[in-house]
Amino acid sequence: MRAVKIIERILATIPIMLGVAIVVFLFMRLTPGDPVDIMMGQGGVVSVGEMERLRAEFHLDKPLPVQLAIFLGNALRGNLGYSYIQKRPVISLITERLPATIELAFGALFFALIIGIPIGIVSAVRQNSVLDRLSMAGAFLGISMPAFWLGIILILFFSVRLRWLPVQGRIGFGTGLQEITGFYVLDSLITGNWVALISSLKHLILPSVSLGAAVAAVVARVLRSSMLEVLHQDYITLARAKGQVEFLVIMKHALRNALIPTVTVVGLQTGVLLGGNMIVETVFGWPGLGRLVVEAIFNRDFPLVQGAVMVYAFTYVMVNLIVDILYTYLNPKITL
Amino acid sequence: MSKEAYIAAVTLLLLVPLLGMTACAPTPTPTPAVIEKEVVVTPTPVPGRQVIIVALARSPTTLDPADHRVRESETVIRNMFDGLVTRDTRSGVHLELAESMEWLDPKTLEIKLRKGVKFHDGKEMTADDVVFTFERIIGENKIEYPEPHTSPRKGLIAPLQSLEKVDDYTVRMYFSDPWPVAMQMLVHQQIVPKHYLEQVGTKGFIEHPIGTGPFKFVSASPGLDEVVMERFDDYYGGAPDLPPVGPACVKGAIFRVIPEASTRVAALLAGEVDIITEVPPDMADLLSQIPGIQVKTAPGTRPLWMEMNVHKPPFDDVRVRQALNYAVDKDLIIEKVFKGMAKPLPGVLSPLNNFVHPNLKPYPYDKDKALALLAEAGWKDSDGDGILDKDGKPFSFVIDCQEVARPLAEALAGQLREIGIDASVRVWEYSVLRPLLLAGERMAFLGDWGDSAFDPVGHMEAKWHSYKEGTPYGRGNFSTYSNPRVDELIAAGEREIDLEKRHAIYNEAQEILYEEAPAIFLVLPEAIEAASTRVQNWEPASDSRVNLHDVCLK
Repeated sequence: MRAVKIIERILATIPIMLGVAIVVFLFMRLTPGDPVDIMMGQGGVVSVGEMERLRAEFHLDKPLPVQLAIFLGNALRGNLGYSYIQKRPVISLITERLPATIELAFGALFFALIIGIPIGIVSAVRQNSVLDRLSMAGAFLGISMPAFWLGIILILFFSVRLRWLPVQGRIGFGTGLQEITGFYVLDSLITGNWVALISSLKHLILPSVSLGAAVAAVVARVLRSSMLEVLHQDYITLARAKGQVEFLVIMKHALRNALIPTVTVVGLQTGVLLGGNMIVETVFGWPGLGRLVVEAIFNRDFPLVQGAVMVYAFTYVMVNLIVDILYTYLNPKITL
Repeated sequence: MSKEAYIAAVTLLLLVPLLGMTACAPTPTPTPAVIEKEVVVTPTPVPGRQVIIVALARSPTTLDPADHRVRESETVIRNMFDGLVTRDTRSGVHLELAESMEWLDPKTLEIKLRKGVKFHDGKEMTADDVVFTFERIIGENKIEYPEPHTSPRKGLIAPLQSLEKVDDYTVRMYFSDPWPVAMQMLVHQQIVPKHYLEQVGTKGFIEHPIGTGPFKFVSASPGLDEVVMERFDDYYGGAPDLPPVGPACVKGAIFRVIPEASTRVAALLAGEVDIITEVPPDMADLLSQIPGIQVKTAPGTRPLWMEMNVHKPPFDDVRVRQALNYAVDKDLIIEKVFKGMAKPLPGVLSPLNNFVHPNLKPYPYDKDKALALLAEAGWKDSDGDGILDKDGKPFSFVIDCQEVARPLAEALAGQLREIGIDASVRVWEYSVLRPLLLAGERMAFLGDWGDSAFDPVGHMEAKWHSYKEGTPYGRGNFSTYSNPRVDELIAAGEREIDLEKRHAIYNEAQEILYEEAPAIFLVLPEAIEAASTRVQNWEPASDSRVNLHDVCLK
């Protein structure tokens, strides 16, 4: 039954994706700026007719509905076109970059959870203690600090001064990593390349912390408030009255129920982490999708922007689906 | 101390420095201040590394010399591919793969090729490769991957009509018109191997490019964020005019993309990279004080102007435009905004351009003359509010610019306010602003326009020729300036091959433009690069090429 529901939900993404495709297509064309003009840059001599030829090549000389029809027709066949600037298929540009973005998002999420969840629990359990106030102050700081600034400070301290961690990039030079999935940590585990594993993990730390700091703060705050609410419920009092160990009361009875709002927030934040990390990618020279898309937007590289936004939309929808599935495990009363 | 209090104390200790740091958060560029405290840090690279690592700000778009229009691509490509001619670190052109070049008539160029030059696969380069290279660029739809298209570099060599192989080492190029800028423009085309491209196609070629340059391709990351090359031991040596001649000094070279300037600086300080490009002026000063770091500059190729819309009052009055030129203290701007790393413009051309007028001097800073000219044009402060006015209207306008030019635009607005002009700044995205500028809908634009050929061609057409839609003429003319005589001169200069006459033509054009002042002629910023002191014999180039053939690692 659940499998059927999940398949139904996946099928429902098709009209969503179609809508996204049309909206992105139209918005890109409504934005002022001529891709061919930008493509030619400033210098050099542009020959007469060169611009027209390029326009014709990219079908930009055709009426908008025709362009949309060509785009959708190709997209249905799995062809998202090719980048005006890089002259390569959009699909391969995206699939090359996506693993880096996902790896960083998972790194950030991992950091956010291992920091956010303990802080959230402890500050709820020790409500109004010094620890609680400090944690919440830290959380406040985590939300307020711009990721690029935190990133630069971390680089100056851990890379330039202490020399513990690398400044930028995804992996060191000469590790001999053989790429299989594009996820470097995973690839080095599969191939048993421990040098590459250490190098890629070291490269992952600072960007993950910069990106995950704000999420950790959000998780801590949300978990704290839902924990506080749960801790005042009758069944907690009952569990304690039964003489259960406090640790189990908190971890088993309170946390599981308090996690539902946290899962929602984490789900939403995962979408943000996947789609909104262009700043951290820029600071750490992380070769992910975000940077590619920002450049593509400035270049009015229509096919690349369209393709990337569709990938983002798809991931967002999928993350939401996973969150909904998780609900059913946390609270059996919820159905898909 | 209870456990809880101990944890609190540690947390506090950790938090206080962070809080202290947030206090400096509002500063727009916090890094320089932090680096100042980091002066003790000296780069400690991996000992004995003989591979040089260069950090670029943007990634190349391709490694195919015929399929891009991007400087970063050329920077990387020119370490793996040589051209018929090359350029030194300034504007001089020198023979590279060509042994000699001769104009048989004003439209025919005969090229004798150097013998014994090898591609990275060991095969010799011959006339066939040269003919193939250029036919691939000028022919329609010659690049077949990913879909058949014409080389975006065709426009850089537009007058080239056809080529002919005379013998294995002689090629003739036939042009549609005399083309005086040919040598400077040929620098930007590199020779590719015919046999290899025919064998593997464009797709195979960009995955593993082969050229005649000092380094051969090893690997590249997806998106070309990192390109690794190793020394080509059979290299013929490069341009004989530009020593050292011979194989490259370092064993290998890596180009790595680090978009953020602060990160590039940090990577240099941490010894992760050896050379960084595009150092912001405010960091250059601090970097140069750090032991183990060398900072060098090259005169740039991007002159900056503030163009005034000559069809909109008050800028339709030439006296007002001249007055604004007198009102700007370029020396102060160079000192404050560019930390001394810029030169004032003597009119429309960069002082480095091969055809810059020998006698024109930058407009001097003369506030009184500016005010007198403005008064002559009817602009006086009649109501005593500190702002000039005419017919009851205050002198007020907006300077449009891109984010990158904002500090200069704000400095400029400040100087104009000093003489009673209410100037303010608005930052735009270029692709949104450009159509408005070309349509004459805006008042003033502060921006640059590259002249990497060091020649007025390609630059005068775009900036100061009347705008003709769909042609190269006036495609960057944001002052809507239009003068039939200047148009005539620009057209004549494109075809004149007599050097003296060509100088005379451009001198006249520059004099007219200087007088009519369609822009405030501002400055030519220098390109700033930094390197570890391990890097020897390194010199930044004006055309932003990073030539790794010459450098050594200590």
